[in-house]
Amino acid sequence: MAFITIAPPAQPGSADAPLSGPTKVSGPTTTAPAAGRGRMRLGFLRLVPSHVLLIALAVVSIFPIYWMFVTAFRPSSDALSTNPLPGPLSPENFQYVLKTIPIAGMLANTFGMALTLAVSQLLVAILASYGFARWDFVGKKALYLLFVGSWLVPFQVTMIPNYLLVSQMGLLNTITGVVIPQLCSAFAVMMLRQHLEAFPKDLLDASQMDGRSSWRTLWEVVVPNLRPALAALGIMLFISAWNEYLWPSLIMQKSDALIQVGIRGFLGAEGNNWGAIMAASSLACLPIFLIYIFLQRYVVDAFVRSGLK
Amino acid sequence: MFIETAGPATGIAPAGPAGLSANRRPKRRALSPYLYILPAVVLLLVWTYWPLGQTVNLSFNDWNLIPTKPKQYVDVQKYAKVLSLPELHQALMNTGLYILAFLGISVALPLVFALLSRKVQGKARTAYQALIFVPFLITPVASSAIWRWLFAPEGGTIPAIAAALGAPMGNVFRDPDSSMIAVIVIVGWQMLGFGVLVVSAGLAGISPDYAAAASIDGANGRQITWRIIIPLLSPSLVFLSLMTILLSAQWTYPIIDLVTQGGPGNSSTNIYYLLYQFGFRNFDAGLSSAAGTLFFLGFGLIALVFVELSERLSFYDN
Repeated sequence: MAFITIAPPAQPGSADAPLSGPTKVSGPTTTAPAAGRGRMRLGFLRLVPSHVLLIALAVVSIFPIYWMFVTAFRPSSDALSTNPLPGPLSPENFQYVLKTIPIAGMLANTFGMALTLAVSQLLVAILASYGFARWDFVGKKALYLLFVGSWLVPFQVTMIPNYLLVSQMGLLNTITGVVIPQLCSAFAVMMLRQHLEAFPKDLLDASQMDGRSSWRTLWEVVVPNLRPALAALGIMLFISAWNEYLWPSLIMQKSDALIQVGIRGFLGAEGNNWGAIMAASSLACLPIFLIYIFLQRYVVDAFVRSGLK
Repeated sequence: MFIETAGPATGIAPAGPAGLSANRRPKRRALSPYLYILPAVVLLLVWTYWPLGQTVNLSFNDWNLIPTKPKQYVDVQKYAKVLSLPELHQALMNTGLYILAFLGISVALPLVFALLSRKVQGKARTAYQALIFVPFLITPVASSAIWRWLFAPEGGTIPAIAAALGAPMGNVFRDPDSSMIAVIVIVGWQMLGFGVLVVSAGLAGISPDYAAAASIDGANGRQITWRIIIPLLSPSLVFLSLMTILLSAQWTYPIIDLVTQGGPGNSSTNIYYLLYQFGFRNFDAGLSSAAGTLFFLGFGLIALVFVELSERLSFYDN
């Protein structure tokens, strides 16, 4: 969770142009098209080391994930194969996982948990950031510092009292117990406030002159105009909630209703059954992969612009 | 750099919950910001600040988390004990080493990569960025499973390659000399792409006019990089460094828990894993809370120093 907005990634054709001037082609240029081609080829050659570097980086990033899928789709007789190619595909490992643990239920529960958290954190943050951005009031600075300051309280420092509170509420081993302490994300409040500070005040004034209450202005003017920012933030909150590990693993000790906790148990029980472990792991990442495939730009921009806790 | 100070509270009369007046409209307007902020503040107080106070309170008590057993006030005994524990010293040293390693992996390396590859543009650039960012999104359970498989002594890809190169490897997670390196490799793999993207985004935000002007004045490529690009990147670099220092212990936690459990011995543990072990393995709430309070103060101090530093060091391209 962080709160510094940095410059957005380059839009196509924007500032991130090569810093040196256009490549000079030495020698007298005979005809314009030939010179153009020569310039292009020389430019490409100069980029070769950069491409090699980026390809190496991409391979290091992707190979472990590729390997997870390749192993997951191998027939169990080939589980230890080090053949880099997929070879014969088999759904055997996935069938085994589906038979051994209630993974469909875990995925559904985790999806519900992450969605609930993302929606609640968005709602709470919309209200709070609107309050901060629209009015000046006594104690504004002090109240805002509460949000900034909470960033300095690592969750591990407060986990025992939180655990006790959830336990007193009788919510141990329930998904509600996982969700309830995280309904407000201070990070989301800070992110949205930055967006709202930039919101044109004229629109707010116009809305007020039309006789709208502040509540109706929020939902009829502000929220519709903030839709892209809200979507990006919502996706990010969903992904963070889905990947949450520490708190679910404390609260759900006796239950495997959530994917992170369920898979952890499965990893322990299956030992070296790598095919099955890789199949379960790929299923645990599935929704995030789907979101990423369809909303790639949104996801990258949202995370890069903000960072996360 | 990041503490946004609100403008001074102006004109509007102080709003308080004091008595209802007949004049409802101004009253409601004065109250409304508080009502909008209320849900967030209540949640924050109940689940962050009240527990923080409780942690400080527990740190002066001896208690094993069993509700029927009364807490026993022990003054600063828990602090004295936690400070003398060799586990704590090991965990602190490891935390420092983790932070140094991740500063290299998520700040220095990305800077080098981003500078060397900044001329790659367009579709190719988007494609590379999309690929190198994927590990950042992998859930910790899956990434620890993937790397346990890659490092598996029987059939794992990395030991197989090492053996083929004539440098056989044992079980890296069971060897005190390598367990920490293994955790760094796994977490570093997840963080690298994030760092590259943040630095690239920072680079993209720097107007090429500065470099063009400098090169007209006769500056060479290296001078432009060191005197113009890196200073203008400093907000991104400070941001990444602060994230790394404050959060690397938390990024590391799930991998330590899933892969090494802090072992062998305490060779790969860190301070947050230690808090978990004190609290939920040894059931010593006082000890865990005393350590937690100390870490909170230490990290708070580091963060404040950093904010101060970033205010002084950062250049803004306004």
